[in-house]
Amino acid sequence: MRRRARIRSAIVMLGAAAVALLPACAGTYLHEPTCGGKDAKALILAAQAVPSATLVPCIAEFPSGWSYDGSRIGSGSAQFFLDSDRAGIRALEVTLTAWCDVSNAIEVTAGVNQPGVRVYEEPISLPPTFQVNRYLRFPGGCVTNKFRFATGASATLALEAQQALSFVSRSVLVERAREETGLTLCGAEAPPCPG
Amino acid sequence: MVVYFGSVLIGVLFFQPLGGIFDRFDTLRLRWIASLRSDSLTDIVLFVNLLASRWTIRALRWGTIAALVGFRHWRHLFVFLGSMLAAEIVAYQISVLLGRSRPLGITIIGPWEGYSMPSRPSVGLAASLVGMTYALVVPGRPREIAKWVVGGVILALVVARLYLGVDHPTDAGFGAIMGIAIPLVAFRWYTPNDVFPVTYRRGKAAHLDVGGKRGEAIRRAVLDQLGYEVLDIKPVGLEGSGGSTPLRLRVGATEDEPERYLFAKLYAKSHVRADRWYKLGRSILYGALEDETPFQSVRRFVEYEDYTLRLLYDQGLPTPKPYGVVEITPEREYMIVMEFFDGAVEIGDAEIDDAGIDEGLQIVRKMWDVGLAHRDIKPANLMVRDGKVLVIDVFFVQVRPSPWRQAVDLANMMLVLAVKSDAKRVYEHALALFTEDEIAEAFAAARGVASPTQLRSMLKQDGRDLVGELRAMAPERKPVSIQRWSVRRILRTAGVLVLALLALLLVLQNWNVFA
Repeated sequence: MRRRARIRSAIVMLGAAAVALLPACAGTYLHEPTCGGKDAKALILAAQAVPSATLVPCIAEFPSGWSYDGSRIGSGSAQFFLDSDRAGIRALEVTLTAWCDVSNAIEVTAGVNQPGVRVYEEPISLPPTFQVNRYLRFPGGCVTNKFRFATGASATLALEAQQALSFVSRSVLVERAREETGLTLCGAEAPPCPG
Repeated sequence: MVVYFGSVLIGVLFFQPLGGIFDRFDTLRLRWIASLRSDSLTDIVLFVNLLASRWTIRALRWGTIAALVGFRHWRHLFVFLGSMLAAEIVAYQISVLLGRSRPLGITIIGPWEGYSMPSRPSVGLAASLVGMTYALVVPGRPREIAKWVVGGVILALVVARLYLGVDHPTDAGFGAIMGIAIPLVAFRWYTPNDVFPVTYRRGKAAHLDVGGKRGEAIRRAVLDQLGYEVLDIKPVGLEGSGGSTPLRLRVGATEDEPERYLFAKLYAKSHVRADRWYKLGRSILYGALEDETPFQSVRRFVEYEDYTLRLLYDQGLPTPKPYGVVEITPEREYMIVMEFFDGAVEIGDAEIDDAGIDEGLQIVRKMWDVGLAHRDIKPANLMVRDGKVLVIDVFFVQVRPSPWRQAVDLANMMLVLAVKSDAKRVYEHALALFTEDEIAEAFAAARGVASPTQLRSMLKQDGRDLVGELRAMAPERKPVSIQRWSVRRILRTAGVLVLALLALLLVLQNWNVFA
């Protein structure tokens, strides 16, 4: 009897925790935000999350050993995560917001072939546990790339990861939305929306 | 409504232009609503939208879980947990499958997260509120009122989300309907009101309410099918019965018989399901100890009990006289009617003398001799009237049982009698009817699950080590294992484990992507 009661209690507690926590874990595993892909759902949603952003980060191509690990998109920010077989799970977190604080970062010149984008770097820790925040500011938005590598992973993997990332212009997404639905993707580079 | 939303789902999924049509239709409605926006109204609507916040939903769910645990409404608790999980998982999977953006062509002024179709906050709130209504509110007028209140709250949330432009009308509507439908179906299916009503009175889930329409149906059926006018229906012995609803019927006088009591056991489909799960559990935990084939219908259930009752009665065992089976609702509810042992008391409440011990043991001896086993010898199933021991509840009776089962019957009877007297007396009386070797076998076989729960708890309360004493008096005998291994048991156990694992993986998969 006592054993059965214990099993029942355990099931109840597990179920209760899951049920109660599910609405709290409201982030979502969305479609992959691929640059120039047929499926622009995640990119359009990201553009809706930050209506002022003129650029939206996307995945151009994966270097060997890197893979997509989900997104979280909601009003105000759009995030996606990349895993590496050497740098670890969610070794890179890419976040689009309307603005970001670069007061602790240093402006650098290297790395992005996108006009109007200014790059800042904020080292958090050096190898063997490489951690850096890289900010890419542009009109109406900012992308924060958080590199959080596993201990022992080479810092050169950050260069690989950067190859995976690119931008899609908001105007392209506005056009895409118009073609598919006949409606306006409100925000920057689009006609004003009602409301 | 279901057809409408089904067609929307299929249309949007497989026909891109149709998705565009829905977008434009929704946007037109949203633009009209947005034309009503004002600063003060927006403040109010943002407040209403807090209904869908994760903290509100958390509080509602934890509150419900706490209440259900507190009132020990386990069945309702499991259905509540299951329906909440199902609602969250289904809503999430559909949202990813459809991948619908937030409304285009309108300025969004409220917070949102993820894809829009279906509206997951609407699903979450509607599922929580409907689940609460069906898990906590008693059926009848209170539940009717609760449904209207819940409907009003859900409508307010839907309107708020359309005003803020965070959901399309079809998202919010689909979400609300999904959130209502999943717990509604789950509760109606697994906790039907007439079988598992929400009640704050004490009682077992297996016991059906015999008032109202069911009471009327019972009176009508007994009169039509058995020819007795039922004057009164009273549930009796509920604490000793978990598998049916035992009733005492007061029936009017007939030409041959005076007014008197009859005993009846009411069975519904829920009892068949419970029997099925019970047998599955036993076959996994212990293997094929005996015939574990489940009954397929309520009719078969009562047919079997009627048969065993007549069998024992014909063999001259002190069991109630059978009166037959009454059909209350075809294929759903049946009642078996038998003699009521008026004036009899449960053996636990009676005094047992040497003659009583002999009678109890003779019942087992006779069953052995005619090739039967009762399989549920416990205090609640042994009555005493005028010093005579009577046996009831013959549902588990087995014809030509295994020697193990017959031995267990003997051990259980001896234990019941020993609780009411002492081990030595019972052992000495038993020697008059059974050999030492048979008694030794009985106590080698009776271990753990072999004794009914009520008997085990009675032995525990008694405090004496009656099992040990009786076992010590009998010749030494190697314990009989109750574990039976077979390919079927292994496959069945593996099947259940695989299903459980799949369910767990489903939750974990969704958990991972949420976290």
